[in-house]
Amino acid sequence: MGLKFDVTVVGAGPAGLTAAQQLASKGFKVLVIERGKKPGSKNVFGGRIYAHVLDKLYPEYVKEAPVERWVRRERITMMTEDSWTTLDFETTKVEHRSFTAYLTNFVEWLDKKAESAGAVVVSEVPVDKLIIKDGKVVGVRAGNDEIYSDVTIIAEGINRLVLERSGLAPKLSPELVALGVKEVIKLSREEINERFNLDDDEGMAWVLAGYPTHYLPGGAFIYTNKEAITLGIVLYLSYGYQLDIPINELIEEFRLHPMIKRIVKGGQLLEYSAHLTPVAGVNASPPSLYGDGYLVTGDAAGFLLHLGIIIRGVDFAMESGRLAAEAVVKAHDSGKYDKESLSIYGKLLEESFVLRELKTFRNAHKVLIEPRLYSDYVRMINTMLKRYFEVDGTPRKLGSTLLETKGNLTLLDLAKDAIRVVMNL
Amino acid sequence: MSLERKIPIEERLNTNAWDVDQRPHIRIIDPDQCRKCDKKPCLYLCPARCYTPGPDGTVLFSHEGCLECGTCRIVCPENNIEWNYPKSGFGVQYRFG
Repeated sequence: MGLKFDVTVVGAGPAGLTAAQQLASKGFKVLVIERGKKPGSKNVFGGRIYAHVLDKLYPEYVKEAPVERWVRRERITMMTEDSWTTLDFETTKVEHRSFTAYLTNFVEWLDKKAESAGAVVVSEVPVDKLIIKDGKVVGVRAGNDEIYSDVTIIAEGINRLVLERSGLAPKLSPELVALGVKEVIKLSREEINERFNLDDDEGMAWVLAGYPTHYLPGGAFIYTNKEAITLGIVLYLSYGYQLDIPINELIEEFRLHPMIKRIVKGGQLLEYSAHLTPVAGVNASPPSLYGDGYLVTGDAAGFLLHLGIIIRGVDFAMESGRLAAEAVVKAHDSGKYDKESLSIYGKLLEESFVLRELKTFRNAHKVLIEPRLYSDYVRMINTMLKRYFEVDGTPRKLGSTLLETKGNLTLLDLAKDAIRVVMNL
Repeated sequence: MSLERKIPIEERLNTNAWDVDQRPHIRIIDPDQCRKCDKKPCLYLCPARCYTPGPDGTVLFSHEGCLECGTCRIVCPENNIEWNYPKSGFGVQYRFG
């Protein structure tokens, strides 16, 4: 390829394709390079997209996007071997706030948007590294090919090999990521509606903690799609070393928990997938989000908000892609793509929800990595309620039942952890 | 395939679409390092069980079922894994990602 483009985008995911569509629609010559057979074939996520970014970018999405179900029910469960305690939120209002989807389909849809705006998307090409001349990124190398462009947008995902090999990011460490393992299970529409108490287009998003990860930091999720559910576990890799069974069996034990088993009964496994996810927010960002001739977006930039119960990746990725495009347009107007001109990207990120939210929750990670949340508290609440409901003629007040069942936790632990959670999440 | 039991990992991987390259994209750099490693987190943290115990405390690697998550690269305490993405679109082809 001896071609020259205005902009090269590494990775055809939510961030890269959004940047590409925005720039192509403004007349830039954009090349997107994707390692998979087609855009979407290497993407995996939990299962839900928050729609607010789509309102701005593609207002027609309500009719067009590959939505599975609109989330109307939210469940949070603390689970032990033999019991669970659930907070179940439901609204009768149909608010188009978030929907379940397959990321593969969603990325294919974003690809159509980018291509119809004029971006060139080349698949089956893993980018090896950036071409850096006199400290400036001038293009990318993929095998024997060199592609030159004025500016490169790096949207390569969580395994940021290109950044690492180019000396622009340190190697990812276990503290910054969690491993998600997912099973997609086919069930009929009627079975899903009945088992989750939903109507045809209504969906449920469910997070569970405790037993699913054998009480290590992390959790499980279940999302309802039209005719399948996605079920998975997520484990903070810094605690991976403490796992007592192989992770590939951990997800099986979760699916076989007596209370989950009846939900997936009669289902059929469609796919088994795994992917890393950033969990440390801005603490996982590369040292610089932009530099001479390049910008970093999406998971590669650590742009995923992980609050334990709410996990948002796609909206952060797309917004960062949109802002990267805006920064490139501004830099183009100034006639330079050096670090100074591209620093507008940092400013745009600061003004947007991307860095405003990630910085607000800068310490969420430190709270969520506390193992007590996934072990002692999960056990305590279940033991306490079990005892409370076990009527046997002994007078039991809630307070004394709590004191009786708090196990190793001290009242000081309870107070400290409650404050940390309330202050940081 | 009944979901009422633990499904062996091979069976689960078989439900996926694949286009496996003959050439492995991941390589254990120095088998001696594995011999000295007592934790061997690759053995239980690889979700596809690509890593299995070999003779004399070594670790055997097979790239065929690799889900390309990148976990092994990050958890290997010896930095003993040369990790690449498969070339030319090869590897797992997610349909329900």
